[in-house]
Amino acid sequence: MSDKNQREQDRSQPGAAPRVGVYICHCGGNISDHVDVEKVCSDLAQTPGVEITRHNMFMCSDPGQELIMEDVKSGKVDRVVVASCAPSLHETTFRNALIRAGANPYIYEHANIREQVSWVHHGAAATAKATRLVAAAAAKAARLQPLEPIRVPAEPHAVIIGGGVAGLKAAAELAGRGIAVTLVEKSPFLGGHTAQWDHLAPTGEAAREVVAELAAAALSNPLVSIITSAEVTALEGYVGQFTLTVTRRPPAASDLPEQLPTAAVGAGAPGTFVPGHGILPAPLPEESETRRIKTGVVILATGFRPYTPKRGEYGYGEWEQVVTLPELIRILAEQQQQPPPEPVLTVNGRAVRRIALIHCVGSRQIPGIHEERPDGTLNQYCSRTCCTALLHAANEIRQRFPAVHVIDCYRDIRTYGRGQEELYTQAGRNRVLFLRFEAEDAPVVETAPPGSESPLQVRVKDTLTFGEEVQAPVDLVVLGVGMEPGPIPELIEMMKLPIGEDRFLQEVHPKLRPVELAKAGLLLAGTCQSPMDVGEACSAAASAAVKAAAILGRGLVELDPFVAQVDPNRCRGTGLCLEACLNDGALELVSCERAGEAGRRAQVNPALCLGCGACVAVCPEGAIQVNGWTLDQFEAMVDAIVADQQAA
Amino acid sequence: MATISTQFVEELEHYGVDTTMDCFNCGTCAAICPLIYEHFPRRMIRYAQLGARERILEQANDLWHCLHCGLCTLTCPRQADPGELILGLRRLVVAEWRRADHV
Repeated sequence: MSDKNQREQDRSQPGAAPRVGVYICHCGGNISDHVDVEKVCSDLAQTPGVEITRHNMFMCSDPGQELIMEDVKSGKVDRVVVASCAPSLHETTFRNALIRAGANPYIYEHANIREQVSWVHHGAAATAKATRLVAAAAAKAARLQPLEPIRVPAEPHAVIIGGGVAGLKAAAELAGRGIAVTLVEKSPFLGGHTAQWDHLAPTGEAAREVVAELAAAALSNPLVSIITSAEVTALEGYVGQFTLTVTRRPPAASDLPEQLPTAAVGAGAPGTFVPGHGILPAPLPEESETRRIKTGVVILATGFRPYTPKRGEYGYGEWEQVVTLPELIRILAEQQQQPPPEPVLTVNGRAVRRIALIHCVGSRQIPGIHEERPDGTLNQYCSRTCCTALLHAANEIRQRFPAVHVIDCYRDIRTYGRGQEELYTQAGRNRVLFLRFEAEDAPVVETAPPGSESPLQVRVKDTLTFGEEVQAPVDLVVLGVGMEPGPIPELIEMMKLPIGEDRFLQEVHPKLRPVELAKAGLLLAGTCQSPMDVGEACSAAASAAVKAAAILGRGLVELDPFVAQVDPNRCRGTGLCLEACLNDGALELVSCERAGEAGRRAQVNPALCLGCGACVAVCPEGAIQVNGWTLDQFEAMVDAIVADQQAA
Repeated sequence: MATISTQFVEELEHYGVDTTMDCFNCGTCAAICPLIYEHFPRRMIRYAQLGARERILEQANDLWHCLHCGLCTLTCPRQADPGELILGLRRLVVAEWRRADHV
């Protein structure tokens, strides 16, 4: 075995044989309580190619890293193996230590002897397994070559999909940093759902003014161009060099208000606010047109849609007195526009004296209790914003129409943000009556018995009254509908966007990389990611803008070099690799001259290659390898794992 | 089944109680009450919130268990003054009895 190692080494390394340094971490006992670290060191010291073995209480500590850097700087070693925790924790730490020592970061191999050994095995078996894993890493390390990160120029431009508050905020922030932005909005209007609301909880500020301010910040910056009535219909390329196809179509008449300010359309007066719809920034397109946009990053701000209750859910669609919260907000806003002489709340021509609010409609659904959607999913998440919005509406009703009584039927009250719990306290002061129900005993909305002064009644098994059933005659029932992800199946399919169990778009990591998608250069802003209120959506949008600016700011993007590489001398141009390739465009066949004759050979586009190795497996010539994961490296690792001498 | 009467709270104001709806049903009053009796006084306060007049009249005798020690009022986190509320309910019940020629 060692002879074979030596032979292969001599063949692949015509110069000086690599000198591997092996550094083993105790992890403060996490590893060394179960693995005999000193024995692993002494066994590895016998392995050909291993120059130095050392161990330390915490290899990730400054003194631990110094050990490695000293050996690299002094030239004792030129390949490094650290055996410690999972690579997701500290691989980057040690690669960076190599950079600080003036070495190439890719002469590094990581062995995980904590999660894969000391946390799951004990005694001699643990030490034996650790020895094999470290030996395999050392065998691979001896075959590692210095690599350079892939550098691609970055187009100093961002495309934002969605012109709601998150899209507008991201556009203004990016343009403020000097980065050109194209905002693509599906509807003719800017402002999204927020533009359709009246006052925003918990502060009560006018939604229209918030939207107007955000839109003005974006529209007034010459670096921002806005394309409304348009959709992204194709995406090609990679981070730094995306090309998007945007198709603009005349909007359907059903998407337009009955009275569009003709002056705005005709004269193209930008920024006209159309109540209930949003800001009309440009005249409507009369014909379809398609354009292609080159961009460095794409920010998804595609938003949400309010849950639509099923017909019959709490009587929705059966009685006109059952409405959703967004519908109530419009009703209240319209009352404001035509104030009656007395503070009487009129809905569908009838005076309303008692209103029941119902929380968690279309949110926090429970398998076995709530009916699944046709695709088998349920909205098991909390929509977060509805409690506060309902209480805000309850307070508004009690203050504007003191004669109207409000009954609030909730499962749990979740007023989680600054200024929101106060709305709950205020609701108590405003004499809102709270009833609490369990999910399995949801309120029943039904026709009131004959003789009742109200058309409907609500029956609730009220846990605040020790489980007694109580009933109340009501004139209006308001359903606190939750948020569902916006309907963007085409974008999800086209961009291969990852979605969570809740069907919202899913970030790489909720804390460490909260606005990034796994595909480099795609970022998230706002409620396409999860239910958020307006303030949170703006925060998320600002984060996405900062992340986009960080990606584009250097003018080029660096990517890991672990991508396929073709040996032009071996490639015969069979094209099998193209068929196996998982990412369109990562491989192509190019013309070449071979022994004086015209031929074809495979060529890798490193920025698009996923480094998956599907091409390696199908090449009959062995002409394609993944850098940093070559076949001879794999073979050396397997040999080291099955070698007899390390059986300890 | 108790029927909610949202106007009841306003009626209680005539009997000197204007904090009925401040209660958020935490149960501290029932926990601190030395009577340790059937969710007293919380259950009565809840009926007052609902406007469940029949329930209050059915269980009116409970109101006279109260020693008026003031512990509930002292510990109420919402300053809903449960002790005063019980006294107000007594006044209401007495008025009802008078109307019905009980007294």
